Amino acid sequence: MQNTPLSAEYARHGGRVVDFHGWGLPVHFSGIIEEHLHVRSKAGMFDCSHMGEFVIRGAAGIAALSDLVIGDIVSVPVGRCRYTALLRQDAGVIDDCVALKLAEDEVLLVTNAGPLEEVAALLAENIPGIENVSEETAKIDIQGPRALEVLRSVGFGDVQVLKFWGTMRMNDGIVIARAGYTGELGYELYIPAADAPALWRAFADYPDVVPCGLGARDTLRSEMGYPLNGDDITTATTPLEAAMNRFIAWKSNFPGKERLEAQREAGNYQVLVSLRSPNRRAPRSGYELLHEGRKIGNVTSGTYGPSVGCGIGLGYVPLELAQEGTVLQAGPRKHNVIVEAPPLYKLGSGRKPVV
Amino acid sequence: MNPDTLKYTEEHEWIINVDGTYIIGITEYAVDALGEITFVELPEVGKFLERSEDIAIVESVKAANDIYAPICGTVFAVNDTLEMEPDLINRDCYGKGWIVKMKDVNEEEYADLMDARSYRGYLKTV
Repeated sequence: MQNTPLSAEYARHGGRVVDFHGWGLPVHFSGIIEEHLHVRSKAGMFDCSHMGEFVIRGAAGIAALSDLVIGDIVSVPVGRCRYTALLRQDAGVIDDCVALKLAEDEVLLVTNAGPLEEVAALLAENIPGIENVSEETAKIDIQGPRALEVLRSVGFGDVQVLKFWGTMRMNDGIVIARAGYTGELGYELYIPAADAPALWRAFADYPDVVPCGLGARDTLRSEMGYPLNGDDITTATTPLEAAMNRFIAWKSNFPGKERLEAQREAGNYQVLVSLRSPNRRAPRSGYELLHEGRKIGNVTSGTYGPSVGCGIGLGYVPLELAQEGTVLQAGPRKHNVIVEAPPLYKLGSGRKPVV
Repeated sequence: MNPDTLKYTEEHEWIINVDGTYIIGITEYAVDALGEITFVELPEVGKFLERSEDIAIVESVKAANDIYAPICGTVFAVNDTLEMEPDLINRDCYGKGWIVKMKDVNEEEYADLMDARSYRGYLKTV
């Protein structure tokens, strides 16, 4: 298994390490539910150094990137981020990613660990001068309503000017984006690998912060209805199916666009929805979904939501059943789950103004 | 319960005969593998179960797992507290986190189950 620049820190906090796409990452430290609730009420820190980072410089490079993804990256204002995706020619999603517009002529593209090899090859082939900085970049996410105080404690108080999806470069080679995967106020820090352990320890020393693992990351994102690459979004799903409609720039040209237009025209595809169980029993990845006794789809991820107190999940259903309140049956015991517009957890601090 | 006095299955259930009532739960190994338990479905009292038939479902944040009857017999009592506090199993899997009590069991099947020493040996092979 590959280590991140922060792997040596896990043991200090009692982290339990598992294999995640070839990376040794902590699934939990104190416990998934405890970490989850701490992020919702105070703050948690996550090592996301396994993710891919690429630097694209110059107008030609940014234009080439923009032609490769479903969104328009050229038009993103400096200091803003855009969520987007890379497709195959058949419109299947290779990866969902985030583009940080750091300067008029500089973009930092952040990608997932799972498909990194395919993504790196595709980017290198199509974008002149692109630089893969994944190895030398560590990533720490600080998430939770106290996140700004946590950043202030290490001298990054300037980030208070950032609005949701804003980004800025600090003067010591660190890039910070106000973003996250939890629904809470949060900042994602891109750090030179050598500097990451000291920063991690400084955050760990702040009393309101607990280290969090993949388990809490998964329950937090599930309560928000955020899809997970490799589980809810795969090369077998298109961005229309993955409910990414609002991120598609139909006026742009990108691989897979023709297929996507045909799918939109036909209008008979399956779409990703959030599911809520009426009790603590959870829908689980791979469960069949039934409607009036007929198999109509599949659950792609599911767990227990500690802040909503019930089973939750994501799954694919036909477009006509993707209506809030539709009752479906999940799994071998056919227990009820209800389609609900995300987020399932509605009290997140993520988009609130900060002071 | 003292884990040294219990009988065990390869599916990581424990069982013990206390004056003709057979108390059943899951082992520390199973609890550790499941992680935080969030939901338990219990069987109906009075139900007769064959050996290896589903006796309960234990769900955690991570996964859903079937629990099987270690021996055949009749469900005599279930631990209702688990419906509100499923994490009792995490906190005390050999005590307050018991799951089911059975009666009228097949005693030969019970005698054939692993004792604590055999189970510890078995754990080294899994």
